[in-house]
Amino acid sequence: MAHRLLRDLEADGWERSDFPIICESCLGDNPYVRMTKADFDKECKICTRPFTVFRWRPGRDARFKKTEICQTCSKLKNVCQVCLLDLEYGLPVQVRDTALSINSNDAIPKSDVNREYFAEEHDRRARAGIDYESSFGKARANDTILKLQRTTPYYKRNRAHVCSFYIRGECTRGAECPYRHEMPITGELSQQNIKDRYYGVNDPVAMKLLNKAGEMPSLEPPDDESIKTLYVGGLNERVTEQDLRDNFYAHGEIESIRMVPLRACAFVTYTTREGAEKAAEELSNKLVIKGLRLKLMWGRPQAPKPDSEGSDEARQQAAVAHSGMLPRAIISQQQSQIQPQDQNQPMHYFNIPPPPQQERAYYPSMDPQRMGALIPSHEGASNGPSGSGENKSGPEKQQQGQRYAFQGMPPPPGQYHHQLYPPPYGYMPPMPYQQYPPQYHSAMHPPQPPPTNQHYQHSAPSATYPGSAPPGSTAHSGSTPAGSAQPGSRPAGSTPPESGPSGSSTPGSSQQ
Amino acid sequence: MPKVKTNRVKYPDGWELIEPTLRELQAKMREAENDPHDGKRKCETLWPIFKIAHQKSRYIFDLYHRRKEISKELYEFCLDQGYADRNLIAKWKKPGYERLCCLRCIQPRDHNFATTCVCRVPKHLREEKVIECVHCGCGGCASGD
Repeated sequence: MAHRLLRDLEADGWERSDFPIICESCLGDNPYVRMTKADFDKECKICTRPFTVFRWRPGRDARFKKTEICQTCSKLKNVCQVCLLDLEYGLPVQVRDTALSINSNDAIPKSDVNREYFAEEHDRRARAGIDYESSFGKARANDTILKLQRTTPYYKRNRAHVCSFYIRGECTRGAECPYRHEMPITGELSQQNIKDRYYGVNDPVAMKLLNKAGEMPSLEPPDDESIKTLYVGGLNERVTEQDLRDNFYAHGEIESIRMVPLRACAFVTYTTREGAEKAAEELSNKLVIKGLRLKLMWGRPQAPKPDSEGSDEARQQAAVAHSGMLPRAIISQQQSQIQPQDQNQPMHYFNIPPPPQQERAYYPSMDPQRMGALIPSHEGASNGPSGSGENKSGPEKQQQGQRYAFQGMPPPPGQYHHQLYPPPYGYMPPMPYQQYPPQYHSAMHPPQPPPTNQHYQHSAPSATYPGSAPPGSTAHSGSTPAGSAQPGSRPAGSTPPESGPSGSSTPGSSQQ
Repeated sequence: MPKVKTNRVKYPDGWELIEPTLRELQAKMREAENDPHDGKRKCETLWPIFKIAHQKSRYIFDLYHRRKEISKELYEFCLDQGYADRNLIAKWKKPGYERLCCLRCIQPRDHNFATTCVCRVPKHLREEKVIECVHCGCGGCASGD
């Protein structure tokens, strides 16, 4: 290997570094990334000084990326060395500067010797540890910038470049061509210049982003005067009702807060309309809880309640799944479950999207409600298709179908922690777990019309074993679980629940 | 003029049987050497050279070690005269390298992270199924595939 004769490193201000300054998107999703380091391999695209080039592959379907600008330049603007986007927010320099009103552009010379001198001086000072003025640490987070920022890494920019031979129709490499065989995206955004992007001048992407920021709609109060509910979207498991309460109480007295983890949303109802309006005005584009940006909109009243909303969907699915995929027992049971509708508080929902109607073959496993997701409801009215939260209890007791009714109540989170959740197919939970169901039965005892018991029992086992239960056959459903599950635990499992107090275990409770 | 010792090639027995094939391969090699480079990538221009070199060596290796149709003397003669690559054949005798494409692909010094070429990776362990290695254009020379 040729030995390169280098000039005196210190004197010329050539940059040497140990690790690149890069953002998460550029680093990639692979924790085992291998990176090559080449000292003074290329010159910085901004200041044209030789610097250490790092090269790696940010993931399996990514091209190889390398650092484009030197660390001095990247520190001056607090940007990633590869993509030249801000390290904290993932935004172009121009957007970040206008949002945070930073203007350091005059200080950095852009031409020739001035630029090199400035970069070297800066580098020297940084290495000597002299604190230079950096406005990036001190800038406080603006709500605009919080809204604009990128929260998750964006790996699409790591894709291979578009094959230029393919564009002309001449790519002879065929399958082994590592470049993308797509037509390039043309338009104003494709004409970008690295220097423009770095200095924050005349950057088309930044312009587009800023325009979008300027046009963000303010929240208009709805015409219907009786609406006092705000819809909060984009929730996470970490956001609790208490967090919402803390954020919303300042604007008015909260009548109620209803969280729907299923849809990652919540509804905050105020006692007064003015309170709601005030909250909307204040928080409309600024709601950030625990670092999570939340969407705030007005609620819309809907006549059916959320649980029957769920069973509306269920009914639709049942109609859709008429191909026989769902055992008829489940469908009839769903329809019967629609009856309990005693919610004393009308819930407001905003645009719950209709269930996908185009799927003709609807498997129970495609429905989260059946696979163990819960719909919390304050009143404990039953709702949704059976076997969802209670699948675990399903295998134990084919007889006690009516237990499933209580999934309307949100079980105390502590207890649920012990249960198998979500329930796997045909899995018989071990003996200890079977102690829990009896407690549930006593705790949550919803009123159930006895005739529905019949439906529940049949459907319960079939719901639990959608794979194995033959469709539409209720008689077999009792025996198939026996075949697929461990037979030993079944009889044992049935006894404790049977011994549990249950008023609704009328004649229907016996094995059919 | 002083007596100049010349080295005259004395062909061993059995040479007549293999000579036509070897001449053909040599002609092919010359053709590949003189090929114009138009329309090909820079690395791609060398691929036929490696391919034909592999072919030549393979022929002689097969004749001696597999089919046993030539004598040891003739085999050594071919290796000495340069009709086959001795080092490449040495690799072919080792387990796991029976289908090795060229000697560059197993040289860790030629690669980043001191690895071998991607053509040495078996197809079921690779992510990309269709590849052309940059050294010799090989599409996969692991013994299993």
